[in-house]
Amino acid sequence: MFPAMDISTSALVAQRTRINAISSNVANVSTTHNERGERVPYQPKYVVFEADESIGAHGAAGVKVRSVETLDVEPRWKHEPNHPDAVQEGPHKGCVAYPDIDMMIEMTDAMQAVRAYEANLGTMEITKDLELQTLRILA
Amino acid sequence: MLNSLFQSTTIPVLQEVINFAQLRHTTLAGNIANMDTPGYEFRDLSVEDFQERLQQAIVQRRQSPAVRSSGEPYHSPGELTAEISDVPHTILRHDRSNVELEQQVTEMVKNQMQHNMALSIMTNQFKLLQAAISGRA
Repeated sequence: MFPAMDISTSALVAQRTRINAISSNVANVSTTHNERGERVPYQPKYVVFEADESIGAHGAAGVKVRSVETLDVEPRWKHEPNHPDAVQEGPHKGCVAYPDIDMMIEMTDAMQAVRAYEANLGTMEITKDLELQTLRILA
Repeated sequence: MLNSLFQSTTIPVLQEVINFAQLRHTTLAGNIANMDTPGYEFRDLSVEDFQERLQQAIVQRRQSPAVRSSGEPYHSPGELTAEISDVPHTILRHDRSNVELEQQVTEMVKNQMQHNMALSIMTNQFKLLQAAISGRA
């Protein structure tokens, strides 16, 4: 009975990691410098899931984060000649490199992650009910 | 003595039903957990298969009642392993995953009801035994 709880918990953790990545992407939608202070726009991150056979028993599987991928995409060029980060020469003269993050996609992903999180919470409620009912044989 | 006491009720059978329901619930929980895992194909324990085997065990018990001791299960849970079910009417999505949330939740709730039903019958049987032992209901 207890593996069911562990499986749902693994999914909660995985979905929360995904929400963290999405939050990071949304928060850094206008970030023009990386963490080392270099003039590189923020690169969006995406979480990849994998079935985790070590958690479940008898063929049931949990889930774990396989990797967090950083997407190296062409920046979104915006013409802002007075911006301190504007490019001085070349084809993108007077433009600022912003991360190419699609808000629509990020928000859809966030909603999906929240729904999946809720579904797993629902599963946990049922698991708890089964365990509680079983323990009631004693009473 | 105790052995024949429990053998005369359906408690051992209900015990198997409850064990199976709990195992199946774990499998279904795994499916919901892997809702967004690319390439995951949903798994299930075959209810028909279980019921068939349980029926065989019951028939066997009726024919030779004294063979089993009361604590011995009809089958070990280790024999049951979730298999990737090949239900044809599911959509295989672009990430090669075919988990349908609604279907899984429905199965889970059905399983829960079956589990709780077996449990209430079992509780009643225990009460019945209690009444028989103490002489009052």
